[in-house]
Amino acid sequence: MRLELRGLTKKFGSFTADDDIDLTVEPGQIHAVLGENGAGKSTLMNMLYGILKPTSGEILIDGEPVEFGGPGDAIDAGLGMVHQHFKLVGPFSVADNVQLGREHTRGAGVLSPRAARAAVLEVSEQYGLALDPGAVVEDLPVGVQQRVEIVKALSGPKTELLILDEPTAVLTPAEIRELLAIMRSLAEAGTSILFISHKLKEVQAVADTVTVIRRGRVVAELPPTASEAEMASAMVGREISLTVDKAEPEPAEPRLEIDGLTLVDDHGVKVLDGLDLTVRGGEIVGLAGVEGNGQTELARTVLGLIKPDSGRVVIDDRDATGESPARRIRAGLGYIPEDRARDGVITEFTVAENLVLNQYRDEPFSRRGMVDAAAIRRQAAESVAEFDIRTQSPDDPAASLSGGNQQKVIVAREFSRPRRVLVAAQPTRGIDVGATEFIHSRLVTERDNGTAVLLISSELDEIYALADRIAVIYNGRIVGEVGPDTPREVIGRLMVGGEADADGGDRER
Amino acid sequence: MAVTATDVAARAEERGRDRHFIGGSVFAAIGVLLALAAFFALGADRTTTFRLDVTLTDARWTIPTRPAVIALAAVCAAAGLWLLGGIRQRLYKIASTCAVAAIVLALICWAVSQPGQSFRAESILAGSLFLSLPFIFGALAGVVCERSGVINIGIEGQFLMGAFAGVFVANLADNVYVGLLGAMLAGSLSTLLLALLATRFQVNQVVVGVILNLLALGFTGFMYDQLKTTPGANTAYGVPQNALGGLGLGFLSDIPLAGPILFDQNLFVYIGLAMVFVVWFLLFRTRWGLRTRSVGEHPAAADSMGVGVNRLRFWNVTAAGLVSGFGGAFFTIANSLAFNKNMTAGLGFVALAVMIVGRWNPIGVLAGALIFGFASQMAEDLDAAGNSIIPGPFLQMLPYAATLVVVAGLIGRAKAPAADGVPYNPGDE
Repeated sequence: MRLELRGLTKKFGSFTADDDIDLTVEPGQIHAVLGENGAGKSTLMNMLYGILKPTSGEILIDGEPVEFGGPGDAIDAGLGMVHQHFKLVGPFSVADNVQLGREHTRGAGVLSPRAARAAVLEVSEQYGLALDPGAVVEDLPVGVQQRVEIVKALSGPKTELLILDEPTAVLTPAEIRELLAIMRSLAEAGTSILFISHKLKEVQAVADTVTVIRRGRVVAELPPTASEAEMASAMVGREISLTVDKAEPEPAEPRLEIDGLTLVDDHGVKVLDGLDLTVRGGEIVGLAGVEGNGQTELARTVLGLIKPDSGRVVIDDRDATGESPARRIRAGLGYIPEDRARDGVITEFTVAENLVLNQYRDEPFSRRGMVDAAAIRRQAAESVAEFDIRTQSPDDPAASLSGGNQQKVIVAREFSRPRRVLVAAQPTRGIDVGATEFIHSRLVTERDNGTAVLLISSELDEIYALADRIAVIYNGRIVGEVGPDTPREVIGRLMVGGEADADGGDRER
Repeated sequence: MAVTATDVAARAEERGRDRHFIGGSVFAAIGVLLALAAFFALGADRTTTFRLDVTLTDARWTIPTRPAVIALAAVCAAAGLWLLGGIRQRLYKIASTCAVAAIVLALICWAVSQPGQSFRAESILAGSLFLSLPFIFGALAGVVCERSGVINIGIEGQFLMGAFAGVFVANLADNVYVGLLGAMLAGSLSTLLLALLATRFQVNQVVVGVILNLLALGFTGFMYDQLKTTPGANTAYGVPQNALGGLGLGFLSDIPLAGPILFDQNLFVYIGLAMVFVVWFLLFRTRWGLRTRSVGEHPAAADSMGVGVNRLRFWNVTAAGLVSGFGGAFFTIANSLAFNKNMTAGLGFVALAVMIVGRWNPIGVLAGALIFGFASQMAEDLDAAGNSIIPGPFLQMLPYAATLVVVAGLIGRAKAPAADGVPYNPGDE
């Protein structure tokens, strides 16, 4: 299928999300659309998929103009979409998710489970995407759920073009490799793919053409051979440094000591299993690992949100294991949570209020139990300027900010107070290149000021860019501590429970 | 309860033994106290008689009350000790169900042990089924609404509308079946408002539900006052008491035990039982059901596949009103009564509890409704017998107390449809 967008424009009131977008996807091509968060990528896809109506402009399929009244029309026209936030019904089986909206029936609206199963198996065999049609979706790992999404998108009456909206945001490195391979084989089989992303490496790896959009406009058409720096500066509109400049670390005394930490979850599984880790002042320790190996629990235990079953958390030579999070925060623990929306900001509160969430009870923000609004506003004005938080006003609710700017609010809040230890969990997840660059440089400044930084990240690139020492977590235990120059393969093996040396030796279960 | 218990047991993995201190000690303590109470308070000459009071009026089984109660109390205490000592996950529900059943049986044995009293098995079980009907209809309407993602706490109001409109329309048309139709339409009118406000105007559904209840209470009360002096406006109408008799199947009612319970019942009973299976089939075996459940779980997913979320919700909620309105007619037409102010007495709220107890599943709803029906029937029976040591009003609390115990204790965490009560705007995540 040849898809052409001509002058596609979408306005929300006075705000123009997409402005005169031209774009052509050739048959069997992987066409990447690159842009920062908020550049208008998702709006564009939603117009293409019939969820939003364009203000002006047209969509042509094989030269014929089409108009979509809803996703159903787009599906009938041969489009399939894999959404960034999966559109899967958790308690349903794989087959039911795939057949939703175009059910296999025995007539009179009675479902035919057998036909639904067969249809899933047919598509999954045709494209080599192994799936169990009877499995319940919410029990499947994220990577497999995405496979369900792809099979669902391919199961349309005649899917010829697949839209993948930020498909790698939630995947582990191994799952990403697998997805990229799937994309290549789909394209070889003749399916056109529109690939939305802000991750440069992936775009370089699979795309045939790259369209860069910024602030709702097409700013560049690049070949995939273009350098990362070239793509990044087109996206952001200025020169971007992809490597983080940092001096040699000067590790001082241990500031955070984690000692035999063990945590058993409700199902009796040890999510943390005698974990030991030490972070010294003035160094960044990167914690690498496939997600779900205890990173989340580790961060929450260090902060004091979860009480461990055994083991100790020592902050600055003081046993903090039994202390409340508030106590630890006062003692100089900073925390950038991995789930921004849940643990990081209160989206209904204003930006200014969010900026003092960790110290609103202290002078000068409260006096004798009364909050001092003027002091809070002064602090907000300072932070907004220093951390380049893009907001209309500090009195706007945090919900009105983009993800990257919400993250800057959190970083500003944690950095606005003297601290000894910083735990940064996935500090740049889902935010764009510009904000990532900013947060990375702040983390390094933090280290240079003598703070002990524990960086938890599922992105190996981020670990390599920042860490002075890399610890690898697997099944709730540190399975290796290596230097920052260790080859990726070695860390990759450790992350899946293998040995650091090449032969593997005895594999742990 | 058996349905949910085995269901859960099948899903739960074997995860070694768990100890349940609170549940275990409560059951053990109740068991011991019950045994002690029986030993000291029950006369040794007391006996409990079970009878088939309709078909085989001569048959009776008599057991000495004190040993029976003590034995049942021992079962309960044993189950409690088992829970305390550690029990396999999948046996937990079975053990606690046994303990609760033993307590209930022991109390029944005790309650009917007065001289001259007996447990009239057929009447009581048939009555339980009959009294479970409002719960069945109300909870089924709730299931359809909430599976679509709309909270319907206005069931009580729909009951009142149905109860009133059933009689009123029957009077106008002088035909009870037209009256039933009127009851359904009145219930549907009430949910139509809910559907409109919940989907088109995205109003908070709990607030709307509360308002609709008050609206129905006020409206039917007002109409009752206006019409009570008008002859031929609120005269009782009824349906045939033995529906199968009319079909020439009356002989089935002579089968012991099963006959009076299953084959000698009001038309409403057969419609109620049929509705349970119809709604179950529709929800879990048809295209409509798949779409309805998807809309209640993850409306954005349904929308992305071309399912019109708000449209489906609107029609489902409106249609659910037909069921709850029909359930309202139970109070008047099934009982051959005229309408009276607030005659539904909060049973619409109990129906909501039944829906939760039944885990938003029609089969579970049937099980839950039967438990509550049994509680209501026992309360009525013990009260009617008159010589119970417990005052009548306390006995009438039994169904409500059962609601609390079952919802709080036995069921624990029940998982509602994920998008239950959440308005949907196209484009939402």
